[in-house]
Amino acid sequence: MSAFHFEGLVWHWPIAIYLFLAGLSAGAVFFAIMLKHFKLSHEAWHSPFVQAAAIIAPVAVFGGLGILVFDLTRPLDFWKILVFYNTSSVMSMGVLVLMAYQLVLFAWIACVFQRRITQLLGNRLPVANRLLSWLVKQEAAITGILVILAISLGAYTGFLLSALIGFPLLNNPVLPLLFLISGLSSGAAATLLGGVLLRGNPNGVEVRFIHGIEIPLILVEIGLLFTFFAGLILSGGQSQVAALNALGFGFWGWIFWAGVIGIGLTLPLAFNLWMKVSADRKFAYVAVTASFSLIGVFLLRNFILYTGQMTGI
Amino acid sequence: MQVSKRQFLKGVGALLAGVSVYGATRTPQADSLLQPEQESEIKYAMVHDENACIGCNACVQACREVNHIPEGVTRVKIERKGPFGEYPDQSYRFSRVSCQHCEAAPCVRVCPTGAAYIDKETGIVAVNSDRCVGCQYCIAACPYQVRYIHPETRTADKCDFCQKSRLAQGLQPACVEACPTKALTFGNLKDPESDLVKLLKRKPSYRAKVDLGTRPKLFHIQTIDGEIML
Repeated sequence: MSAFHFEGLVWHWPIAIYLFLAGLSAGAVFFAIMLKHFKLSHEAWHSPFVQAAAIIAPVAVFGGLGILVFDLTRPLDFWKILVFYNTSSVMSMGVLVLMAYQLVLFAWIACVFQRRITQLLGNRLPVANRLLSWLVKQEAAITGILVILAISLGAYTGFLLSALIGFPLLNNPVLPLLFLISGLSSGAAATLLGGVLLRGNPNGVEVRFIHGIEIPLILVEIGLLFTFFAGLILSGGQSQVAALNALGFGFWGWIFWAGVIGIGLTLPLAFNLWMKVSADRKFAYVAVTASFSLIGVFLLRNFILYTGQMTGI
Repeated sequence: MQVSKRQFLKGVGALLAGVSVYGATRTPQADSLLQPEQESEIKYAMVHDENACIGCNACVQACREVNHIPEGVTRVKIERKGPFGEYPDQSYRFSRVSCQHCEAAPCVRVCPTGAAYIDKETGIVAVNSDRCVGCQYCIAACPYQVRYIHPETRTADKCDFCQKSRLAQGLQPACVEACPTKALTFGNLKDPESDLVKLLKRKPSYRAKVDLGTRPKLFHIQTIDGEIML
């Protein structure tokens, strides 16, 4: 069985990229909100890290949706997914969440960068200014809804796959949680990487705050991965076959152990633990750690998507 | 803080209101899973007698011609296992792989646009190709792997018991008609006088992957030839 082409394969790597980008977008927004709420408050719009998240989140979600549309066999009919919908379909519900998410995402970005936008606009568009000041008054509500939508979006990509009842590795209740947590950590990594690239201080309060959350997040992710595969193996039958096939010595086994566990989880965890909270962080350190996390999550999406479709019931 | 809490609740309320208004536009065809089934007089099913099947693929060819199925894809496959035993006492086992017309069809459940639906009149799992956008979720969701993208229409396609071709003219499905050994029996599960029900009452049958809860309506009568396999 070849790693990228086998019988029964329906969804290819573009879907893995979409799953990655949707989680990344949700995670970036989540951490930008956390940064603003707990650390930066009204100064958030100055922070290169919040700015990075405000760029990454919409770009990632648009990119992911673009890939999704072009992966349809009839891309020009994509609007039918928006018009018709089926309450029992995870995809329909996910599309609703995605639409609402994008709307609220832009509302939140407008709130955070209100002063800057008003500066840029001057007195040219009084309607826009009025809209902005109205949005700022609703900021608490917008933030709350955006947190809910971001978490829903992060979990949705997992639910999308876990609805496939013929594949025991995918039809697994831990998958949505695993995708949510790994999506959040990829969002954190992207925010850090984008932030230092925008000349944010690699030793700043933002980096320390996110790194503080990153260690427990990585530990939870390792726990979820363990639960995920232990659950499959203990279920026996085709679930066990699927788990052992994925974790074995084939191509995807290497991707899992070296890529996901090694590069994606162990190294960032080790870097975070080695680097004491008091020590100074350098650009290279933050960038490399974040890149490893991103690679790990990207490989995890591909690993789950492909090995999941390999073994059917 | 009180104000922001109230604003938050207002926002959530508005969101819920929006969602419930959107409910008015939902697709009627996909509801068959959630609402109690409307009782119709007809529920079509098929039996494949694996003892009679000789693997000649006449059914596959007939289906291809009647339903204009291009090369490279097919609505029905005959899977061959074997040979069992030593020459000259050799035998094969043949099994039909095609849409099972599940009562709880995973493809219908996952389809985002309602393009995959269960016809309430006949129980046939059908595709409304005007609605299909080709997301392939149904193909991935079907545990029997019988759906494909039609190369010309670019939409999901599969066996529909010849609903649009022969059934519409009051004829039996093409595969049933073409079978030289009468291995296929098609009919109404709700009619106790039908050949289908009589056959099912006479011979023990099995259905594929019933443990998934899909309640398929393609019945197989297992061959007694060949080896015992685990």
